[in-house]
Amino acid sequence: MDQGIDRRGFLKLGAASSALLATGSGLALLTGCSSQSEGPAEGYRYFRQQDVDLLTPLVGAVLGPALAAAGASATDGMKAYDDLLEGAMPGTRATLFQLLDLLQLGAARWFLTGSWAHFAEQSDEQLQQTLDDWSAKSNGIARMAFKGLTQPMFMAWYAKPAGAVTTGYPGPPQIVTA
Amino acid sequence: MQDLTTLQIKVQDPWKSPADNGWNVIDGRTINDDRTLEADVIIVGSGAGGGVSAEILSQRGLKVIVLEAAKLKTSAQFNLDESEAYRDLYQEGAMRATKDAGMTILQGRAVGGTTVVNWTSSFRTPKETLDFWRDQYAVEGLSRTELDPWFEQMEKRLKIEKWLMPPNANNDVLKRGCDALGWHAEAIPRNVSGCWNIGYCGMGCPTNAKQSMLVTTLPGALASGATLIHSAQADTLIIEGDSVTGINARPLKDDKTPTGAKLTLKARAVVTAGGSMQSPALLMRSGAPDPQGLVGTRTFLHPTNFAYGIYDKEIAPYYGAPQSMYSDEFVFKDGVDGRAGFKLEMMPMHPGLNTALVGGYGASAFDQAQRLPNLAGSIALLRDGFHEDSVGGTVELRDNGEPLLDYPVNEYLLEGTKRAHLTMLEMQFAAGAREVRPGHAHAPYYKNWKEARIGVESLEYAPTITGLGSAHVMGGLTMGQDEQRCTVNSDGSYKYLNGLYVIDGSVFPTSLGVNPQLTIYGMSARNATALADSLTA
Repeated sequence: MDQGIDRRGFLKLGAASSALLATGSGLALLTGCSSQSEGPAEGYRYFRQQDVDLLTPLVGAVLGPALAAAGASATDGMKAYDDLLEGAMPGTRATLFQLLDLLQLGAARWFLTGSWAHFAEQSDEQLQQTLDDWSAKSNGIARMAFKGLTQPMFMAWYAKPAGAVTTGYPGPPQIVTA
Repeated sequence: MQDLTTLQIKVQDPWKSPADNGWNVIDGRTINDDRTLEADVIIVGSGAGGGVSAEILSQRGLKVIVLEAAKLKTSAQFNLDESEAYRDLYQEGAMRATKDAGMTILQGRAVGGTTVVNWTSSFRTPKETLDFWRDQYAVEGLSRTELDPWFEQMEKRLKIEKWLMPPNANNDVLKRGCDALGWHAEAIPRNVSGCWNIGYCGMGCPTNAKQSMLVTTLPGALASGATLIHSAQADTLIIEGDSVTGINARPLKDDKTPTGAKLTLKARAVVTAGGSMQSPALLMRSGAPDPQGLVGTRTFLHPTNFAYGIYDKEIAPYYGAPQSMYSDEFVFKDGVDGRAGFKLEMMPMHPGLNTALVGGYGASAFDQAQRLPNLAGSIALLRDGFHEDSVGGTVELRDNGEPLLDYPVNEYLLEGTKRAHLTMLEMQFAAGAREVRPGHAHAPYYKNWKEARIGVESLEYAPTITGLGSAHVMGGLTMGQDEQRCTVNSDGSYKYLNGLYVIDGSVFPTSLGVNPQLTIYGMSARNATALADSLTA
């Protein structure tokens, strides 16, 4: 069997973009990330310490002034994201963790977001630039990763009363149990 | 400014004390020992198909067990908190999406199924759709004329009537826009009784005005001797020879993981009513015979796209009956099997759903989020499954047996979406919008219709950046007498196993072109009645 990546094989690789996500965990293991924690970080039910380190700066950049308007921090946004995962099924969470494992790799960050640097090592300006570049990318898997990671951040934060009220939504009626 | 926060709702919950009602309700979270239960019929799922079937079968004197994976949550616990509603009442905590994240899927997971969280729109199936099923899939006995008495029966049961109150400002946008352009617009029939018009249909109706299965057919079935087992998931069918004789189920803890106990349910007949994705997945996990390899294929979504308009006057899209006006101007414009036709409706918007759909990041995303009180959200539901380029998605199983829908967004859907965007932009400007943008990651707000028309031409229509979602999952177990293309007969019986019936939206050979609940109610009433006839004969 030909092990080289010929043109046909390369095209197949491009078309099967989701396979890259599927092998994310495996890649992370091969490159030495296996020493990382598999259990949830302290204060979290699902996100592991490496996810918290990676995503908290991103949550801060994506939600931006919405957090400050509620007197909240990026950690509060991250906790809301963690709460959202409670409703998800194990399979949904596993897919998300595969993507997060992949993003621990500099090469994957470069491919997906346009920047090699870990999100925690980027300044606020650099993170905004990363988001500018990432959201403008034309490869399908980068777009998928952007949407897959950021969409739940909004859902998680603004569905909480503290986030909801900053949109001008007055809130729901009061429930009185008879 | 509209503000309902001082409004007090006194909840009268019919589920306050099921035992006092004489209802037999078993909470799977409390099952830690292996047990076996027997009945005439096991119904997997308690939504539109399962609820209707349960009431009909138990009223005919049959011993029915309804099995529901979700935990029981009723009006006294519907606190109108968006995040709790997603966590407790939606599949995958409202994080369900197609495999490539191209479309978000809002599907209920509740005692009462999606009927607990839907927006109450109740339409009879279009004649064009039913004729297409007859002509293409040899569906028998389900013409519009034959179904009309069943629709009538269920409309009466669920108090379905055209909404007579004035539409909320969000829905009034559709009416004004369509009226100005000379397009069809009409009030939506809703399954409500004594509706308070507050706008929380999607979070569980706190007043029990919505005639969901939770307050209609399930209490009806329980009063007739049915048993409800909630917090217990159907794992596999018990198949003996060429017959289904029961269900292997797993009681679930609060966090949806198994308690470890085995629940074995034995019966003469099993009805799968878990809804599309769940019903095909049950057959797939069970290794049910499927000689043509069709189970899970042709799963449809009414891929839905969005347009957001900003108005000078307050819209408050979070308050008021969520859907009360619609337009069928473009549903069959290009014939039943031409370019994608679409139904126009509005969507209610609460902060979580709105910001998740609008997307973006940073300061500009927050700016958009803060426009919510003046925002109107229109949606176009594309009819999928009629054109040869529209074959829908395929249900797959994850390694742990959970269903996943692989539904690539193709050119057919993207072309329909672009046309629908243009249509909705024109409609919202005609309704007086100050600015409108289509649901597309790269689209700005346009200031007028001319600018919008030019702007849309320069957008890249591609998966993921084009906003698409769905609250209607249909198909996957195609019904019809065409043996090459169908797995389920027109009466709901599975072609390759005795004792197995599919009574839910999974059997639709295509999408519908209308919100699906009334179609599921009517077809389920018909096929559950036929099943009752055969089991009591």
